[in-house]
Amino acid sequence: MAATDPQNFDERDFDEVDHDLDEGLDESGEHSAPHLIGTPSVVVDDVHVKYRVFGGRRQSTAEHGRFRAMFNRSRRHVGAVTEVHAVRGVSFTAHHGESIGIVGLNGAGKSTLLRAVAGLMPVSSGDVYVAGTSALLGVNAALVRSLTGERNIMIGGLALGLTKAQVEEKFDEIVEFAGIKDFVHLPMKAYSSGMAARLRFAISTAAIPDVLMIDEALATGDAAFRARSQERIEQIRDRAGTVFLVSHSMRAIRNTCDRAIWMDQGQVIDDGPTDEVMDRYAHELKQRR
Amino acid sequence: MARQASGDDVSELAALAREHGLTKVGERPGFGQYLRQLWSRRAFLWTMSHARSYSRNQNNYLGQLWVILSPLTLAAVYYLVFGVVLDTTRELDNFPAFLIIGIFIFLSLSAAINSGATSIINNIDLVRAISFPRAVLPISVAVSEMLTLLPAVGVMLAIVLISGEPLTWRWLLLPVALAVILVFTAGGCLMVARIVVAARDLRNLIPVGTRLLRYVSGVFFSIQAYVSGTVGTILEYQPFAVYLTLVRSCLMEEIPMTVPLWGAAVGWAVLFAVIGILVFWSAEDEYGRD
Repeated sequence: MAATDPQNFDERDFDEVDHDLDEGLDESGEHSAPHLIGTPSVVVDDVHVKYRVFGGRRQSTAEHGRFRAMFNRSRRHVGAVTEVHAVRGVSFTAHHGESIGIVGLNGAGKSTLLRAVAGLMPVSSGDVYVAGTSALLGVNAALVRSLTGERNIMIGGLALGLTKAQVEEKFDEIVEFAGIKDFVHLPMKAYSSGMAARLRFAISTAAIPDVLMIDEALATGDAAFRARSQERIEQIRDRAGTVFLVSHSMRAIRNTCDRAIWMDQGQVIDDGPTDEVMDRYAHELKQRR
Repeated sequence: MARQASGDDVSELAALAREHGLTKVGERPGFGQYLRQLWSRRAFLWTMSHARSYSRNQNNYLGQLWVILSPLTLAAVYYLVFGVVLDTTRELDNFPAFLIIGIFIFLSLSAAINSGATSIINNIDLVRAISFPRAVLPISVAVSEMLTLLPAVGVMLAIVLISGEPLTWRWLLLPVALAVILVFTAGGCLMVARIVVAARDLRNLIPVGTRLLRYVSGVFFSIQAYVSGTVGTILEYQPFAVYLTLVRSCLMEEIPMTVPLWGAAVGWAVLFAVIGILVFWSAEDEYGRD
């Protein structure tokens, strides 16, 4: 009843797409040195993700008959649940030392795919295999908003599986890296979105994961933070880890990633070396405008 | 290098994953393994619980003073209504002690169940950010309610002493009784958290249930004095009433401490804890979907 049909699945919002072609990282880091590609670290096998959204219903465009219309209108208030089929049969293999950019319009299923790969959102069908630990960094960055940054560092670190001593040992480094100084003693609801994102990035990378997934986190920082996070990503890659980056910044993807996956409406449209995929993606975008 | 996987080589990808020793993501661990994971995150559990009970009073001027102030004001209000205005003191020698124990223990129990119900859906940001055994969240609600109760217990002991109860050896059993209550609420939180994730509309009914329990658990009247027969026995041995009586029997001379009482208290706690963790674990791979 609430299942999505592909024609109707049009939640993309073109105005919000922010492909900042000219601002971004400095030119010196134009192309990261090619990394040695190792053995598979992430295998995604025909993954579908569906989730329920409460509090709203999609409107069908054609409503037949007055009674039907009345019924549908009342359904907006009662039983307002919609199932979103966000990822529709995605398969790929990622390797140690690879960094992969995921591009696509808003609502293409990029973030949902990352959550599924991180094991944070259950898949409806298909399988995800990962070598070692994975961590996800996202834009909705606060862990527990009412608590201070200090507490959140402890909670985040412990949740990641570090011991109390390990978190305490890394505490200064995390605060330093996030660049939040005295704000660490304030509740996270007082943080700017950039500060929260930085803190979460610092927490999540405190224990260097084997697979790191970044969901537009780089877009929120200032220039100095971008440079530092770039450095951290390089570190993770050097330890034969795998990095996924979801971003609307084409420059960030071209600079950081050596492979790109282009998604649209929950499916993979293109998958290959960054330059080739991004050229095709940019071309397609121009045509759609 | 063939990077693009075609749609039909399903087994090929699975075989590739197996060949390189990758582990499947989001799979529910075995029960024993789950308990071990949970145990290994006990520091996380403790920090969550402590932070939760601490942050509750942090957003006003008097801050942590409210830990003592709110139970005191609460006791005053209830004493005014049920001791002075309505006078439900029938068959009780020490009504103030009876009342204050009833209120403090009951409110802690019901607060635990009520917030345990939303412990997953209210922490969805955390659930979708970091993977950890999800049972940490409902259990931390139970622990944090117990931490909030402890200062109130201090106030409670003072009032009970002032009201004229003597110090007896039975007071030593109070920590045991509180530990049993903690096991019970942890189990209860696991159950209701699971139920609300499966059917979230029920979160509106759980407070209704605890509200009903407030009036039938003998919080401000003695069940024996008002109800008798089978109904009375059922009311007396439902878990909430059992725990109120248990704590009263530790602190008040006129409430007898019996073996069936302790049996019921421990029995309910074990039953809820075992069923709770089993029920919660059985859906471990589903939290975080909605």
